[in-house]
Amino acid sequence: MDILGYIWLGVQAVFLGPEAFSILGMSISITVMMVLSGFLFGIVVGATPGLAGPFAMAISLPILISVFGYSPDALLPVLGFLIGIMKGATIGGAVPAILFNTPGTPDAFMTTLDGFPMAQKGQAKKALRVAHFSSASGDTFSDIVLFVCAPFLAIIVESYLDLPEKTGLLILSLSFIAAVIGGSAGKGLISIGLGLLAVYVGTGEDFYPRLSMGADGLSRGFPITTAVLGVLIIGAVFKELEEAWRETGQNRPAKVPTQSGDQKLHWPDIKRLFPFIARSAFIGTAIGALPGVGSTLAATLGYSVGRARHQKTKAADAPSFGDGTPEGIAATEAANSAVSGANLIPVLSLGIPGNAAAVFLILAAESIGGFNPGPAVFRFSPDVVNPELVIAFGLFTCMTIANLFNWTIGGVFMRSMGFMINIPKTLLLPAVLLLTLTAIYVQETRLEAIWFALGFGVLGYVMRVLTISPLPFVIAFILGRSLEETARQAYSATGNDPFFLFNNPIALIFILMSVAVIIFAGRKPKGTAP
Amino acid sequence: MQGQSRSNLYLGLLCVAFALLLIFIWIPLDTKTGIVEKARGKFVIGDALAPTVAAGFILLGGLVVSVFERKVADQPTISRTQVKFVASLTALVIVGLAIMRFVGPAAVEIANLFRAEPMEYRLLRATPGWKHIGFFLGGAIMVAGLVSVVERKLTRRAVLTGIITAVVLIAVFDLPFEDLLLPPNGDV
Repeated sequence: MDILGYIWLGVQAVFLGPEAFSILGMSISITVMMVLSGFLFGIVVGATPGLAGPFAMAISLPILISVFGYSPDALLPVLGFLIGIMKGATIGGAVPAILFNTPGTPDAFMTTLDGFPMAQKGQAKKALRVAHFSSASGDTFSDIVLFVCAPFLAIIVESYLDLPEKTGLLILSLSFIAAVIGGSAGKGLISIGLGLLAVYVGTGEDFYPRLSMGADGLSRGFPITTAVLGVLIIGAVFKELEEAWRETGQNRPAKVPTQSGDQKLHWPDIKRLFPFIARSAFIGTAIGALPGVGSTLAATLGYSVGRARHQKTKAADAPSFGDGTPEGIAATEAANSAVSGANLIPVLSLGIPGNAAAVFLILAAESIGGFNPGPAVFRFSPDVVNPELVIAFGLFTCMTIANLFNWTIGGVFMRSMGFMINIPKTLLLPAVLLLTLTAIYVQETRLEAIWFALGFGVLGYVMRVLTISPLPFVIAFILGRSLEETARQAYSATGNDPFFLFNNPIALIFILMSVAVIIFAGRKPKGTAP
Repeated sequence: MQGQSRSNLYLGLLCVAFALLLIFIWIPLDTKTGIVEKARGKFVIGDALAPTVAAGFILLGGLVVSVFERKVADQPTISRTQVKFVASLTALVIVGLAIMRFVGPAAVEIANLFRAEPMEYRLLRATPGWKHIGFFLGGAIMVAGLVSVVERKLTRRAVLTGIITAVVLIAVFDLPFEDLLLPPNGDV
């Protein structure tokens, strides 16, 4: 089957899958409805300060798996819902940033710089429209790059990289993630090391489960949900609760000034904003394609480049960046939204998650089974249909559908979400904590899993306090087993050559790059973690 | 630069010590195969290699933090208040989970005092009402307790939030799915 045949099968898998309902005889598939539900839910979550996309993905996953089961038919509805959340949360985060100077998601911080001043000047709706237009543009551009690049990159990886090179590539990815996430290469390495150590407990090839200290509970290892949800979600809840506790009694009134003037986005506005959007979309996509480099950096870089350009081209009486200019919002939102699609390039082509959302997509795929993100997905077998490739094109279809929802109803829904600021974090976060613990239990069905998750939660909290980013921990936990497996196979395949990483030129280049990236990043510690 | 935190130095040294402990004590004592093993006449990678690589990452990270990043500005600190706060949160969660675990069986034992034929919680864990007691009470107390700690006072709103959360989660996870078990019903 050729590439067009696979694309068509992917589209059909989405639209001709199990029916949710029909309108005037036209069948609406469950997958389409799940993308829509996830997208709207994502906007709500993004617009709620204290919550973010990964929270929503974490708490939805066990419910989705319970509803759809573990069959391959569950993949597209579940992954479609998660993709919807990912996209919805990105635009939702701009709402409280613009209206209340409180970023709904961390990457919306830069949006406050111009969004809030615009709202204060009575231009809140226009600011929201600019944010939505820029976000949707950046996201769409990024998705197109993903659709084109991921298959080619995967084919190159499969064609040219053998087991030693793949081992080297995994080491390079971990080193790169350690170096770039959080601003401290040393702390990144510690986070990676702890993640690897955790995944190796209770596993191995010998009958004795290694590092289990003879304890029955540890002999089965830590379930992936306990590590991921513990460090990422419970740790974040503890940290947020601590911040809420410090802020108790300092509640700021949530008031939006009276709006005045033209609030619509006209064609001349779009023409004026377009260069800023295009530049930032490109920056966000390039940054998003690198595993581990988050949307916060993309937003900062997009904003800085936009500001430099704006200083040169703006009219004398026009506001500068930081004073409430639409160009500032456009530069930020296009950049941070362009990260989300491109972040899936390393996931789909290499099997390496680059951000928290990608972690949950991999977790969903791993829980359900039948789809293992990585270069093998893009094997265009001419004689036998490769079901994983159909799912991959189904995912691309889901992303396109989510973009269509974003362009059509996303703006209106987003602008109606201002009231979410009024939900107090102090009530919401304990409920999220119980929800997360319950979600872990229904998946693992043993209290031991909750204890593990709580332990990982405390670890995640301590890591955050010490500005050690928990994301490298989680990525290392996910990649740890495949690193060991690939190394074992490479060792055997090279005739038990202990220097297989150094006797192969491409693997050697990857190892040298790993060392170089740590040395380069280690020379410029920046001090704080996101 | 008065009072500059030296947390990076301490963190780095702690990580170095932990990595050395791993490499020289824990991993050799707690894995049955070494870094490389001879099996069926040929060498294979043993179970100790991967954890040793993990320890290597921690060791390297510890060295980088304690040597090259020990003097960076704005180093974080862990205050006693933070330790107390997270300890109280963890304790509340543990209390909530303990209530979840034991209240259901305890309620059955109390009911047995008034019944001629004794019941067993294990056999009732699929029965509506009985199977919800532990989760409802433990969950509601956990959430209400956490809200109260964060808001520094016990309010009706906190109690209501706990009750609503527990009820909503029962409605979401238990009512629609027959095969899902709420805590602690998979363990008893």
